Amino acid sequence: MHTQNCEPEALKHAIKKSLDLINFDFGRKAKKIVIKPNMCYYYHPSTGEVTDPRFVSVLIDVFRENLDVSEILVVESDASAMKCKNAFNILGYDKMAAEKKVNLVNLTEEKYRIVNKTIGGHAFKFHIPMLFSEADLIVNVPKPKYMEGVKISCALKNFFGCNAYPNKLIYHKVLDKAIVAVNENIKTHLVVLDGLAVIGKYTKRLNLVMSSEDPVAADSAVSEMMGLSPRSVGAIVLAAERGIGVSSFSSVGEFHYFKEQFPSKGLKDDLRATVANVYLYLFSKH
Amino acid sequence: MKQISLGIIGFGIEGKVMLRNSLWLKGARIDAVADLSEKARSAAKKSGVKKVYGKYEDLLKDDKIDGVIISLPNFLHQEAAVKSAEAGKHILLEKPLARNVEEGERILSAVKKNGVKLMIGYDMRFDPVLSGIHDKIADGFFGEVQIAEATNITGGPFAPRSDSIGPVRVPSWWFDKELAGGGALLDLGSHLVDLFIWYFGEVASASCFLKYMYRTDLEDVATCILKFNNGPVATVKAGWFSKGFIESLQICGTAKNTLIQLAPENTSSIIWKGIVRKFIGRNKNSAYYLELQHFVNCLQKDEQPQPSGEEGLRSLQAISSAYRNAQTVM
Repeated sequence: MHTQNCEPEALKHAIKKSLDLINFDFGRKAKKIVIKPNMCYYYHPSTGEVTDPRFVSVLIDVFRENLDVSEILVVESDASAMKCKNAFNILGYDKMAAEKKVNLVNLTEEKYRIVNKTIGGHAFKFHIPMLFSEADLIVNVPKPKYMEGVKISCALKNFFGCNAYPNKLIYHKVLDKAIVAVNENIKTHLVVLDGLAVIGKYTKRLNLVMSSEDPVAADSAVSEMMGLSPRSVGAIVLAAERGIGVSSFSSVGEFHYFKEQFPSKGLKDDLRATVANVYLYLFSKH
Repeated sequence: MKQISLGIIGFGIEGKVMLRNSLWLKGARIDAVADLSEKARSAAKKSGVKKVYGKYEDLLKDDKIDGVIISLPNFLHQEAAVKSAEAGKHILLEKPLARNVEEGERILSAVKKNGVKLMIGYDMRFDPVLSGIHDKIADGFFGEVQIAEATNITGGPFAPRSDSIGPVRVPSWWFDKELAGGGALLDLGSHLVDLFIWYFGEVASASCFLKYMYRTDLEDVATCILKFNNGPVATVKAGWFSKGFIESLQICGTAKNTLIQLAPENTSSIIWKGIVRKFIGRNKNSAYYLELQHFVNCLQKDEQPQPSGEEGLRSLQAISSAYRNAQTVM
């Protein structure tokens, strides 16, 4: 769905219409909702790197107006370089949460269970917060981005951030497998993608809202929109193989418009990145 | 000439930059590092530093150390500089001089009382392009300068950083106004304020517009206007808000104008510098290297290094005055 602008009314209309297009069941049980935006670092939402708190704010309004909600939690976990305490404040989530009367939760400070998981011969240990098992509706609000090593970051990668263990760097050598492993433990019920500002080859105001009840299908659609075959994205292929979702998708709405408009990277950009990496390897001081 | 023995107090990002640039110093070497962090001390040892200390007070007891490079967070400048002066060590103090004028004056008083030399680490003065502009202004190349403008916009402390292991968190003191003393204006803008004071002399008045877009107590967008006694009006634009990086200088005079973009550099320049560093070992035009060499030369010749503590205080006074006259922009 295309939203005319980022004003609450226009955005609310676009989010509601996007949910209607996927026949989201507004009659479903949703007393306790957990929303996981992407707050990867202290970037301003206008860069396209992090979920815009204005988007989450309107999403909360949509849920409250259309579902029987009693509690909403907005969650994120500490990461190798980012602390939620600072991110909540800097990105404006503190302010949004106070205005909307929802709780902001740092998953790293929550009760968790240790989950050991082996995927593709790699053994992982995760801290899975207990609060997910108590939620009626788990909502994934990702940003579409390119990411070195795993090609794209979207819904599946956003949920990797639900692992409460802060030193996430330890997973990065086999990140696609770790992403899938976390998604096997925490099921996304609904993806509502914030495409107000997106970052591809450059940052662009795309004003896109996209929804799906399947994070694998959502990532497949996003990867195609970004000019990449979903079959080339390891996490999508593996997640589909393991039954987290399906990699095929049928688009409704204005998918082709957004595919045209997305600031996709091309072969030239990949070549430039390769040259830069070779240069860094050869000439940077380690 | 006497070989100068130096110690680094605080082995974070700046301390490491100083050590790297000290490797080709003539007449001096870094013999000691002090840092509370075990990880930092281990990194210093791996880099070949002979003596490492946990507490900097222990480094100050070392009689063989002539001078110290203080690269600690702003809130520790006063304490470390005063103790260093009392221990008889010459000081290269990372900018800004202190969090506020009162602390700065205490540092200068201790330096004077103990007869040591104090230099403030405004490395931009040693950039060959910027020092060339200083000479041209003095020579009248621009005629009478009427307007000057300098910009330094980055992510500041929020710019993603990493060490050899991986991403590193922003130190917590950067989120605390009490500890940092100021935001983008004090951090990045102070370089540019110092540069303009060096170019144009005494500041007659200072004011600024500040914005707090990241909702911390520290301004992340600052536009500071300085009126100089001898004519020009200079604008300093500093910001912590961008993923991008720009550093530029504009000088407009009655005879000539110039616009210099210092960063980001063009690709060929970056490649060339990389090749020089790889195969020759140092970039002789590195401002940090030139700054360190100047400090060492002054210690050897018993001269006052520039920028002096008094100059550092003048920059701090101008910034404090700008903060007092600040207007917050929503």
